[in-house]
Amino acid sequence: MPILIAGLMLYARFKKVETYNVFVKGAKGSINLVLGIFPFIVAIMVMVALMRASGITDMLIRLLSPIFNALGIPTEVSELVLLRPFTGSGSYAILKDIYTTYGVDTYVGRCASVIMGTSETLFYVATVYFSQTSVKKLSYAIPLALICNIFGTIIACLICRVL
Amino acid sequence: MNKIWAFLMLLSTLLLLIKNPSALVTEMTESAMGVINLCVELVAVYAIWLGILEIVDKTGLSEKLARLLSPLIKFLFKTTDPEITKMIAMNISSNMLGVGNAATPCGIRAMQLMDDKSGKATPAMIMLLVVNATSIQLLPTTTIGLRTAAGSASPTDIMIPTLVATFLTACFGISLTLLIQRVFKRRKKKSYQTT
Repeated sequence: MPILIAGLMLYARFKKVETYNVFVKGAKGSINLVLGIFPFIVAIMVMVALMRASGITDMLIRLLSPIFNALGIPTEVSELVLLRPFTGSGSYAILKDIYTTYGVDTYVGRCASVIMGTSETLFYVATVYFSQTSVKKLSYAIPLALICNIFGTIIACLICRVL
Repeated sequence: MNKIWAFLMLLSTLLLLIKNPSALVTEMTESAMGVINLCVELVAVYAIWLGILEIVDKTGLSEKLARLLSPLIKFLFKTTDPEITKMIAMNISSNMLGVGNAATPCGIRAMQLMDDKSGKATPAMIMLLVVNATSIQLLPTTTIGLRTAAGSASPTDIMIPTLVATFLTACFGISLTLLIQRVFKRRKKKSYQTT
């Protein structure tokens, strides 16, 4: 990444772009962008917090881990798989827990690392991406993307057994 | 989204009423405060990446990237609009390099441009969501950082498995989406013919 940015700066110099002015112009959009998505993030995060506090999350984990097991997903990573669609920072906290509890270089540790790549904070991304549009009906978007993420998790667990 | 949110909120509130009613408001307030912290961070991070993206744009690099990816984008999103193509191209490439924070502003912009004001997600919008959800990861930067911090013997050891797994997931996601969209289109055509 540092090489890419250095390269970009050099190329911009070469193209005679006024980097400072252009950078400031772009950066100006940041506050408005975040202001626009803020209420949507609050709604999703409050929901996640209440789900955790009320024990729905634990219930879901208990309910789903046999199914996950049948699909080849180890129980140790089920909490990660379950919370990943909702929260990015939360799932990184769980990933850290997995590293300290089960070890980084073990099967579970590696499996969890790859799952972070194949899955996405889906509800967060969907909320934020659609927040600035007229879209009220997502039709089949969420279930479809969820199926893709579950497929990704299964593949991740399989590949970590081989590679 | 409305139904999911309403259902989960109602269920958690009811459960909390039985278990621990006093926790309800505290939990809500605390999580909203957490969002403030997150958003302050996001303002800073997006400022950096929006600034850099603007430079990328002004140097003409984004146009080059868009031209490079335009056959793929035309196939997946059925669009040749230069502005949309550019935004999707930047969104996809940022995601692949593991800079989600640069990908998000481009994704939001692309969604706005593809919006047809009908209130319903168009096939292209759904495709963009799936492409983002299943993105190929060349450099899983954050995960490698966390592995290093946790004292891994070889933090980059997961790069190849991640690449293979995300590649397969992306192929699966894109084909499934194309398949579903084709079925929907055919069904619509049929109902149009019969009426």
